[in-house]
Amino acid sequence: MSSCDINECEGKYDNIVVFMCNECGQGSANTAGVGRMPYDPSVRIVRVQCTGQIGPIQIMDALNNGADAVSCVGCCIGACHFFNGNLLSMRRIKLMKKMFKELGYSDQFINQYTSRAAEGETAVGDFEDIVERLCTAITEGGTFENEC
Amino acid sequence: MNVKVFQFNGCNKCFHETILLKQNDMEVELISNPKDWKGEKIDVAVVSGYLLPEDKEILLNIQSNANKLIAYGDCTTTGGIFGLANQKGANITPISKIIPESFKINGCLAEIEELTATIKGGEVDKPPSLCKVCKRRSTCEYLDEVHRQIDIFENEEACFNDLGFLCNGYIATECKERCVDYGTQCRGCKPIIDRSGVRMLGMFGTLMGNVEVATEASKYGATDKLADKDDDMTESLPDIVGNFFRFSLPTSGLPKGRIHSKGSILENVFTGRLIEEFPLITGLLGGDNSISMTLSIIEAYEKGAEIEVNEQTKQYRQKLRSLEKELKNAIDAQDAEKYKDVTEKIRKIAGNMNLSNVFYGGFKTPIDGADNFDDYKAEPFEIKEGTYKNGIVEFSIDSKGVIKEIKIKEGA
Ligand code: SF4
Ligand code: SF4
Ligand code: SF4
Repeated sequence: MSSCDINECEGKYDNIVVFMCNECGQGSANTAGVGRMPYDPSVRIVRVQCTGQIGPIQIMDALNNGADAVSCVGCCIGACHFFNGNLLSMRRIKLMKKMFKELGYSDQFINQYTSRAAEGETAVGDFEDIVERLCTAITEGGTFENEC
Repeated sequence: MNVKVFQFNGCNKCFHETILLKQNDMEVELISNPKDWKGEKIDVAVVSGYLLPEDKEILLNIQSNANKLIAYGDCTTTGGIFGLANQKGANITPISKIIPESFKINGCLAEIEELTATIKGGEVDKPPSLCKVCKRRSTCEYLDEVHRQIDIFENEEACFNDLGFLCNGYIATECKERCVDYGTQCRGCKPIIDRSGVRMLGMFGTLMGNVEVATEASKYGATDKLADKDDDMTESLPDIVGNFFRFSLPTSGLPKGRIHSKGSILENVFTGRLIEEFPLITGLLGGDNSISMTLSIIEAYEKGAEIEVNEQTKQYRQKLRSLEKELKNAIDAQDAEKYKDVTEKIRKIAGNMNLSNVFYGGFKTPIDGADNFDDYKAEPFEIKEGTYKNGIVEFSIDSKGVIKEIKIKEGA
């Protein structure tokens, strides 16, 4: 992953959907904003109550409608405000990653992260990782293209 | 009423099932080679078998001659089980891409009662969900583990999913074949909702709430993210595409698969599937030969993996084989009465026309109260890596029981 040169895939993506929970997810993005921390302009944040609301249907809808990558950012493990929503969406995303591999695609354009409301750099770090992974997927020719 | 049934590609079980239409007041003709059909005005056209883009012209010709066009069976409506070949780049095409306004009757095997009602034009009642009529009851509690095989008699009340035994009944409607009554999980051949596979995947991912999912530290700050390494989640489901999208890959909203393969469509359907699911697939799509094909595969593995088979099992299998011959005769003679009679006999032993009751080492549920079920009861078996062959097939499985390679003789 770290071997991927981000410049190589510049211009090859412009739409990264990040579902961020209303609690730590959105909180960390706000903190990043207050601290004026820059991040990739392709990142489009979709605010959700909890990442537990996000599953294969929402992710496929995003991908089928032009998203280059989709990720969830939720609260830290053990700190979900809705008990375990973050861990449930992680499990669904893990199965989806395997499914994409079984279909011959990269599994690097979907993922899930956690962040801390008080630390903006956690959100920005997640965004950077999302972009890096998407670049890996693009350079390997493994991205999702809407064929259906 | 003038009804013509057209068989396109692949399995012809649905096609032959339409022989039963002759029991109604209808003039029925089965056309096994639609390419050669000259074309004439008809009341109802029924289409069965899987479709390819090159079938478009013939289909449009049929449509222009018919007052009503009905797609009969998953192969035609959703791409069905052959649609799994799209994982390896095939172009199995659901009818909605060619004739969106056609009537669609899902099912593998599709139900003749539904077809009859649709031909007659009566409203077909929306059936209830399969779970409502299933003997088992679901609690949806989080699972600690997933099991690929279970002893179904250990707990006869709990939903298979509660037992960690993945069942797609949640997304299916009530059906005639009822795999779940014969110790077999539903694979959703009669979906109750669109994009059923994707939804079931989400549902099962949630159910796996206590199964270990691997995480790792993020780059910045002391937070975590989903890790890429294999974990209990991925290890316990070696074939997500085959188990969740068994009948609906082409209509699932997923991109077409890009796994490179030189195999035939049939071989591509099988590669990647699991050894314990293998007979369920041949039982479905084997057409005229589903019984002999399924038994050959089972026996090849039994021999190689040294699974014991007792006398009673052999006798029942022998009966099934001779019933298959009788069925072929009934089909050749286009004899609806005989066809019905033989399929009933097959159902008695094999559970249903999908052969859900047939398994490695014996049968999953009792066949006849008069004999001793313990004698021929199938038990969960151990997976043994290796290559297995028989007259018509040769296949190899890896240590997880995933079919890596398969060769099927032409005409088998
Ligand atoms: S595979 Fe299933 S749906 Fe297709 S023709 Fe055979 S029985 Fe019908
Ligand atoms: S999921 Fe399967 S086993 Fe469970 S209730 Fe529904 S049909 Fe029955
Ligand atoms: S139980 Fe079997 S026949 Fe019934 S819907 Fe499920 S897969 Fe189809």
